[in-house]
Amino acid sequence: MIIRTQALSKTYNKDNIIGPLSVEIPEGQVFGLLGPNASGKSTTIRMLAGVIEPDSGSAQIADMDLSKQANAIKNKIGYVSQHFGLYAELSVLENIRFYASLYGIVDEMRFEHLLSKYELVLYRDVKAGKLSGGYQRRLSLVCALAHDPTLLFLDEPTAGIDPVTRKKIWDIFYTLVSEGKTLFVTTHYMEEAERCNEIAFLNRGKIISQGTPKSIQNSLLNYDIYSFKQAFEHSMLEVLNKHTDIVLINQFGYEVRIMTNKTFHEDPLKHLMQPYVEGEVVLSKTEANLEDVFIALTQEVEE
Amino acid sequence: MSVINAIFKKELLQLKRDPRLIGFIVVMPILFLILFGYALKLEPENVKMAYLDKDRSFFTNLIKTNIWMEGYFQLYEVSSKAEIVEEIRSGRAKAGLYIAADFSSLLIENAQPHLQFYVDGTMPSLTTAMKNNSSSITDDAVTGEMYFLDEESENIIIAQDPFIMDTEVLFNPDEKETWFFLPGIIGVLIMQVALILAGISVVREKENNTLEQLIVTPMTKTQFVIGKTLPYAIISLFEFYFILLLGWSIFDIPMPFEASGYIFLLSLDYIGSMIAMGLFISMISQTQQQAMFLAVFIIIPSILLSGLIFPIEAMPEFIQPVSYLLPFTYFVEIIRGLLIKGTSIADLWIDFAALLSYMLLFTLLSIWRFKKYLH
Repeated sequence: MIIRTQALSKTYNKDNIIGPLSVEIPEGQVFGLLGPNASGKSTTIRMLAGVIEPDSGSAQIADMDLSKQANAIKNKIGYVSQHFGLYAELSVLENIRFYASLYGIVDEMRFEHLLSKYELVLYRDVKAGKLSGGYQRRLSLVCALAHDPTLLFLDEPTAGIDPVTRKKIWDIFYTLVSEGKTLFVTTHYMEEAERCNEIAFLNRGKIISQGTPKSIQNSLLNYDIYSFKQAFEHSMLEVLNKHTDIVLINQFGYEVRIMTNKTFHEDPLKHLMQPYVEGEVVLSKTEANLEDVFIALTQEVEE
Repeated sequence: MSVINAIFKKELLQLKRDPRLIGFIVVMPILFLILFGYALKLEPENVKMAYLDKDRSFFTNLIKTNIWMEGYFQLYEVSSKAEIVEEIRSGRAKAGLYIAADFSSLLIENAQPHLQFYVDGTMPSLTTAMKNNSSSITDDAVTGEMYFLDEESENIIIAQDPFIMDTEVLFNPDEKETWFFLPGIIGVLIMQVALILAGISVVREKENNTLEQLIVTPMTKTQFVIGKTLPYAIISLFEFYFILLLGWSIFDIPMPFEASGYIFLLSLDYIGSMIAMGLFISMISQTQQQAMFLAVFIIIPSILLSGLIFPIEAMPEFIQPVSYLLPFTYFVEIIRGLLIKGTSIADLWIDFAALLSYMLLFTLLSIWRFKKYLH
């Protein structure tokens, strides 16, 4: 295991407690930490990366104790913060050179290799502040990789990035994993979570589920998911909302997805919906996706 | 108009949500008004005056008493004429008085004896005030008293001016104003560069989110502090000598080469203390705006309360400790001593030590604060 935590926690105030977190993450994979805003994702990744100190618990990173061998760990890890944490006035190459030098690396050949590998050659002398959001992310990643770490912590690495660029960044992640690196990624994009080898759901500072995306999808035992074709109809949604067996309603264009309790029966609902639908009401039972699972799990915790 | 109104309201809201900044905006003017309202006086008061009265007669006692009563000077006795100058050179006294042994006899003979005053030429307001106020020593109260005591003697005619006062402006005999101000101005300019640049250095890293990225590297706190401050130290050092050379070549500021080692030591000591202070400002600020305000909070009192323009002795006693809390006060004392007065290092070591203490204190505070700042 490249990361092992035992009851790791951080308390800001009585309403904002992260942990206790006990997780084990194997090496050579992309591990995703999912959660809504303010769930504690950034605090968790910052504790593990050594940016902030946990209040209690312990963690082993690459078989080293986080509290006792922090400096040795720093040479093994790379970290990309949620915000663009590079020097806007320095060029792409100067940023890479600077971060590498903090690890004692002065190897122009390596810098050239990194520029070429991550398609930054054309921007070598461009100031980091002038780069597009996607290239700024790419540069942040390269700076974090300058010392060739085995474990990378990436805090929302694709936030605010268009889908094409996001895909390219994920391609880079897979390349890194194929090279033997482990990636610890936080995100609140469910479609990104599906790209991870393993994920953990974090809600209000607690891990509420952990496993492969598929196993988590299959873990939705207490609810069913139905979908039907229907344009947005406010009065109909109001009726659905009042239905005691319906847990969640999501409108996606002309499709409505509802999550129901196991006690749910289709016919009474069809009857209720009929006044708002032209023709026959067709409800089809469908597979849960990660978002459904996450909402269901969150709801269970809230209850 | 509604757009301007919206922006106006937004700015006010942002200000309202920054309590530290509000504190500076409200507290700073009030504090400065009180501080400077009481402190800033061109008229000297309680200025230390070293004297030697070799005559020790009724007349000289009368003169000394009158000087004391005027409230401008606090007299203390020294043992030789040379010591008077040395006391002023060392900074222990700002003025001096020498009365020769034959003062009374010459006075009685109506030979208009001379009364020798000395004044520290590096204190701009003191020289002017001394000249303006010295006439009070010979006013009617004194001369009338003298005349009254001797009027029964038929052989003695008291002249309208019974004695002549000579005022020697020490160290700056031509009273060049640039000599008054320029040495201190060097310190002000260095303070601006060192304090402000260092003041915003760390907080800028935090605002730009680069600090977090640095923390995860193996860099130590000490490496960070040294690496951050060294460029500003070099820039300040370059600026120090650049302004000094300009002052030398354009304004004829004395350049005592024998003191060049001490001047270099001063530059390191002062720049170090300013940068350490700036660094600490950066560590306790959340935004660059706050850091700038804090720096101004130090710069303005430094200019006005350090003795650069207004004599510290003229300030009320409760203000004087504030002056001695400012590192710039010690810089002014040293630079004037080294460049203009030729003060020996033995008389300046306390000032050097004070600057060094500030440097060490604020460096340690910054390193201590750094950890808290990050987390």
